[in-house]
Amino acid sequence: MYGLNKEPALIMHIDLNSAFATTEQQAHPSLRGKPIGVTNRISKECCIIAASYEAKYLGVKVGMRRSEAMAICPKLTLLETDPPKYNAVYQKLIKIMQSYSPKIKMKSIDEGIIDFHGMEKLLNGKTLEDIGYEIKQRVKDEIGDWMRINVGIGTNRFLAKQAAGWHKPDGLDKIDHTNLLDYYKAVKLTDLNGIAERNEARLNAYGIMTPLDFIKADEFKLKKQVFKGITGTYWHQRLRGFEIDDYATNLGMVGRQWVVKDPSSKDSYLLPCLSYLCETTGMKLRFREAEARGICVWLSYQTGEFWQAKRMHKTTYYTNQEVYRRTLELFKQRPSGIVKTIGIYCYQLCPSKRSQISLFEDIEKQDWLTRAVDEINDFYGTFTIYSATSLEGKKIIKQKIPFGGTEYFDLLLKSG
Amino acid sequence: MDPTIVINERVDVITVFYGNAPERTICIPKRMKYRNQEIEFTMFAMRHPTAKGKRMIHVFDVSDGANDYRLEFDAEGLTWVLVSMIGNQ
Repeated sequence: MYGLNKEPALIMHIDLNSAFATTEQQAHPSLRGKPIGVTNRISKECCIIAASYEAKYLGVKVGMRRSEAMAICPKLTLLETDPPKYNAVYQKLIKIMQSYSPKIKMKSIDEGIIDFHGMEKLLNGKTLEDIGYEIKQRVKDEIGDWMRINVGIGTNRFLAKQAAGWHKPDGLDKIDHTNLLDYYKAVKLTDLNGIAERNEARLNAYGIMTPLDFIKADEFKLKKQVFKGITGTYWHQRLRGFEIDDYATNLGMVGRQWVVKDPSSKDSYLLPCLSYLCETTGMKLRFREAEARGICVWLSYQTGEFWQAKRMHKTTYYTNQEVYRRTLELFKQRPSGIVKTIGIYCYQLCPSKRSQISLFEDIEKQDWLTRAVDEINDFYGTFTIYSATSLEGKKIIKQKIPFGGTEYFDLLLKSG
Repeated sequence: MDPTIVINERVDVITVFYGNAPERTICIPKRMKYRNQEIEFTMFAMRHPTAKGKRMIHVFDVSDGANDYRLEFDAEGLTWVLVSMIGNQ
């Protein structure tokens, strides 16, 4: 009666449990079974970016400040992130996933999708649940005996992810038309991936209080009233198990942001940091083989105010020097005040045209210099050579491990 | 708090390279001599590669049952360095 997708569930979502914390426990047997947290850099008020299940049971949450976590769990062991270690786990997980289907997509460093469409004949009569248990065992054998994964199986990416989060840790669940409504009965609106407080309030305002109410709502209501747009139709399809999240995104912007270590208004402190941020942004641009025309700088102040400036240039750019020069023009226009966060991003991107010969010698020289520096840094390690204006900034800004996409992981490892 | 004790010292290591073993356990450090003390590893936890410039470093996390040790093997210089250890708390 709800028009559910009755196709076989052929999407598998794999999620490493508390990825960074579990990996650390794998590497350090003495920390297994103990509450541990992982942070980017241990400092007085650092933030927990991953917590072991033992810590989570005691109430430690991801995103908590060190002081809050220590108040809840005084015996909490804190470790700093170790990107190469997580990358090794990530690469091994990819290898395992690729051995089942060529259609895999990593959603982030600790989760990915295996699409079994078209692979049915190669499953040799095994069900996806059998394969799920097999992958769990292979993760233990090939990555480490402490590693645990959640496996979710569904007819679309949304339901597969929901299934993976149903029984944590170490769970394996399948959601299809046979148990979809039972699942929706068992969970809250905010348990649905993509529904947080704001969307919950939006749904509540139209009398949708539970996931069951949500699936009962007709497409017209969701499209025209609740979400006021195509998002409503997407939700209508998604909830019923139809695939609408399988699309490739285009690269829209490249940038970097940084929470200022010691909030300041002084150019002598901020400019070297800005220069360093521009260096890493330039590296990202070239890593993605792109050039940009637009540049944006944004700042948040200690007073809570926000400022941003944007500029679209006629010519494209990709060198660190150009990123810094164009950023600096905007940065100098900022209102006075103590800066708490700096963000820069390049937009209006296009594929790199560096292989084309330029008519202008200056541009050629800049390109040669950039190529030479990149080659040296590639050989001896990132930041073997870098701009003198970034010297102090590099000492202050620490490279962090990305939460979301894994596009820059190789680049991060080079600079690690 | 962080229980890691940074050491960064060259050490003697006896290692077994297995001819026929899964990738994860193809090379396992068995014993280490550190400051005239012999330490026998009873547990192999993890190995992962990392690059320092173009040099390939293999990082081994091992345990003697009481402490965890992080050893780095420089595949170019053929040296072993005890990078750090974590004592059982």
